[in-house]
Amino acid sequence: MSGGSRPVLEVRDVSKSVNGPEGRLDILSDVAMQVHDGESFAIVGASGSGKTTLLGLLAGLDTPTRGRISLDGHALEQLDEEARADLRRRLVGFVFQSFHLLPALTAEQNVMLPLELEGHADARERAHAALEAVGLGTRRKHYPAQLSGGEQQRVAIARAFVHGPRVLFADEPTGNLDRRTGRHVCDLLFALNRDHGTTLVLVTHDLQLAERCVRRVELQEGKLEPLA
Amino acid sequence: MKILLLALRSLRREWHLPEMRTLAASLVLAVVALGVVATLTARMERGVLASAAELIGGDLGVSAPQTIPDTFAAAGRERGLAVTRTASFPSVAFAQEQSQLLDVLATDTAYPLRGTLLIADAHGRQQAARGPASGSVLLDHRALVALHRQVGDTVQLGGRDLRVAGELIQQPDGGELVAMAPRALMNLDDAQQAGLLGVGSRARHRVLLAGEPAAVQSWHRWAQATALPQGGELITPEQTQERMRSAFDRAGAFLRLTALLSALLSGVAIALAAQRYARRKTSEISLLRALGTSRRRVFGLLLGTLGGLALPAALIGVLLALALSQAAWMFASQLFAGVPTVLPILPALAAAGMGIAVLVGFALPPLVRLADVPPVAVFRASLARRVRRFDALYLLPALVALALIWQLSGSATLAGILAASLGGVAVVAALLAALLLWIVRRIAPGGHPALRLGMAALARRRGLSIVQATALSPGLTALLLLAIVAPSLLDGWRQELPSDTPNWFVLNLQDEQRDDFSKTLAAMGGNQLNMMPLAVGKLTAINGQPIDSIHFKDERTKDWNDRQLRLSWSDELPPANTVSAGHWFVAHPAQAEVSVDTMWRDMYALKLGDTMRFNVGEGQLDAKITSFRHVDWTSFKVNFFLLLDPSHAQALPHTWIASFYLPRGNTEALAKLSRTYSNLSLIDVDALLDRVREIVQRVTGAVRWVLGFSLLAGALVLAAALATSGQERRHEAALLRTLGARRGLLRVAAACEFALLGLIAGVTAALGAMVGGWWLGRSVFHIKNFMPQPVPLLLAALLAAVVVMLLGLAGTRKVTHTPPMRLLRAE
Repeated sequence: MSGGSRPVLEVRDVSKSVNGPEGRLDILSDVAMQVHDGESFAIVGASGSGKTTLLGLLAGLDTPTRGRISLDGHALEQLDEEARADLRRRLVGFVFQSFHLLPALTAEQNVMLPLELEGHADARERAHAALEAVGLGTRRKHYPAQLSGGEQQRVAIARAFVHGPRVLFADEPTGNLDRRTGRHVCDLLFALNRDHGTTLVLVTHDLQLAERCVRRVELQEGKLEPLA
Repeated sequence: MKILLLALRSLRREWHLPEMRTLAASLVLAVVALGVVATLTARMERGVLASAAELIGGDLGVSAPQTIPDTFAAAGRERGLAVTRTASFPSVAFAQEQSQLLDVLATDTAYPLRGTLLIADAHGRQQAARGPASGSVLLDHRALVALHRQVGDTVQLGGRDLRVAGELIQQPDGGELVAMAPRALMNLDDAQQAGLLGVGSRARHRVLLAGEPAAVQSWHRWAQATALPQGGELITPEQTQERMRSAFDRAGAFLRLTALLSALLSGVAIALAAQRYARRKTSEISLLRALGTSRRRVFGLLLGTLGGLALPAALIGVLLALALSQAAWMFASQLFAGVPTVLPILPALAAAGMGIAVLVGFALPPLVRLADVPPVAVFRASLARRVRRFDALYLLPALVALALIWQLSGSATLAGILAASLGGVAVVAALLAALLLWIVRRIAPGGHPALRLGMAALARRRGLSIVQATALSPGLTALLLLAIVAPSLLDGWRQELPSDTPNWFVLNLQDEQRDDFSKTLAAMGGNQLNMMPLAVGKLTAINGQPIDSIHFKDERTKDWNDRQLRLSWSDELPPANTVSAGHWFVAHPAQAEVSVDTMWRDMYALKLGDTMRFNVGEGQLDAKITSFRHVDWTSFKVNFFLLLDPSHAQALPHTWIASFYLPRGNTEALAKLSRTYSNLSLIDVDALLDRVREIVQRVTGAVRWVLGFSLLAGALVLAAALATSGQERRHEAALLRTLGARRGLLRVAAACEFALLGLIAGVTAALGAMVGGWWLGRSVFHIKNFMPQPVPLLLAALLAAVVVMLLGLAGTRKVTHTPPMRLLRAE
């Protein structure tokens, strides 16, 4: 696991366990990996293999039971939830399988959210530009319920890129889309990733999608293996 | 049956949903609020009635100017009721060289059946007593002073020597407004044997009864169906004299108001919870429809689920209401010391019915619409949310609210004012919210990002924000009416009888005695002297037609036609009078004019311009009606049904009547005054004033207690309503956390959002409560010059904003304290 530039994401011996109704359950065991600046990195695995858990840990949404994770040089396990939130706001973008757009907000207002969190005065203009970039300049005033699945995911991508994050985490970005729409959305995701020089960490069970990434690993029963 | 099982299963699965719990909690709270208020109200009404019974000395009775036939007492005894007989008459008592006209009440030894007869012995020790035994008499302090007697001495009454067995401190009032003279209580048999009750006496006889409510009701029905002795009438607690009745009427109106507002608050909470539930169920229903479930079956399923929730919730509500009102009564009953009442069950059951009606009325519209979700919505959620510009179904909650207002207010005026105030407030709140949001949206506020985020969030959720402000405002108005306006209305009522309310009346004052009397009174420390001329005459004709030849529908006219009328005159409209039609006298009119009280107007069917002929002394006077007056008979001032214009009336033979306030403890001085001006009749209304004050005190205390409870119920319902709408924010907060928003930022943003929402609702509610309170005070409670204080209301509005903010923050607290990952998985 190597790369030319310095690692933006470094994971050392990370384990995650939860207490379930049938006792302790190990979801991740001794995971170790590095993702370098500007790299595209795919984590592949079957349902229930722990992909989303790992993604949550990498993005600082959750904390590991054991081990260390460093995001852009910051040791996540040493930060409290507030400090991790600060880090996410500055460095991270998200694309979710189920889009997670706020139904009460228009497409434009959804894209404005990360900018408003940082207090940008030009949030509206930048959101407008981001929607233009994903081909939805004319659908700014539409609410999520008035958009198709593909369009909703494009709005989510615009939201993910609008504040120029260093790392973009994508959780099954095409999981809820048909093959053709999924392909278009992926093209867009990779194109923007390339244009912005963002590091992309992609979690998917779709091998074809994973193949578009420079590096790929597979999660099997909570352990990380190189993808065959 | 199958659908019911399915519905119950669905209910079991959905029980964990917050809106289901909110719906159930709202219903429980609605039933508890309605039930406790209704139970306490019913019990207090009984207490108030029982209190009125104390005034009469029994639960019910009959009075007549001659001896009442035994059948009335016998019918009472047959029903297991206790019976007492009394007779009241004026008589002169003698003691050595002193004599004094007394107002005598002759009773048997069972008297009083209700209330307390309090006497003091020779050492001043007070104790409760029964009617005096044969050979003894009870005299009040004035009688003792006037006759120079003490307890244990003898006085002569009706030619018999009677021993003064005690000083009369307090007695059930017997319904008499004014004790014309010092009082005495003697034995009925003694009075009979002394010939004081024989033919030609001016005695008023009474038979009073008391016992179990059912037996009293049975006797009441029997008496209504029986011919009363000539000139006789039934005495009921409701018919106690005017001042007391107005006190009870007001108490009833206050209680109904609190119950009504609590019910409306619950409706608001239920409507919000049902809306939320319907929204959550949309995808499930579209799936069921897609799988082939008919619209009817879907509707049946929803109704079954709602019913399965409603019935146990209503039952719990009833039990809680009964338990709470029983606990509440343990404190409230101190206000009705000695008045036994049982816990009524029916009001709580009726409250459950009303609670379910509120649930159905407020929850049905979104559920009916839910059944209309097309199967194709399973593919596109947007199809399930087609906007309807107008939906007649949404009039249902308004209709249920109106029906509740109508049912519980018991008065068209109260219903109208409340409906107009609350409806008006909702409209104003919606408009104000829309306007403010429009401004916020266009002029993005600078400053802290949290402030901007909060404002932006509020402006973006425009529809929901307007709905929330509109729902909160009538709720807050109801709370403000209960918390701020109602207590000051009660204070206004109490202040109508300030401590220096005239407590003495003086009759028969002559022209030449006026100045001296005023000076003597002032020297004694008397004040508030209000003197009016008094001429005694008779009404002989209306519009030239002799009064005896006119048939009036109102039976009371017969009584008045035979009576001596008291006429007076004044340049200025006397205090406690308002002209309701026509105009007050102009100076020196060509023809004599008369101003008539509205009760007389109705009784004699009079119109402006009619002419009334009065015989006064040797002469007669034709006076044209130029105005009608509303007279506040509760004011304890000298008032007249008929006022003449001074230029024509002052030549009539007359004396003067005056009211004044004299601090207590002047009995000796008054007795001296009475001897100096031997022609004067002095009338003490202190006892009556005390009684009215006591009633007002008791009722206001009890109403405050009920108000406190309604307020708590209202606040809980309001909190439930806010918690329901808080759900919307959770998803957003979770996402914002994921995108890196700090907890503090979210909290400040939510605080700004809720504070603005609370401020819109609070300010509108303060305005609504002010207008509604003023209107209620004027039109329902008839409290003069009542104006709700704006400062406490505005402070309360600010407090409401803070409370809404804190409640809103409490609703989002869970979100900001949970790792975003778990939240996102939970969604």
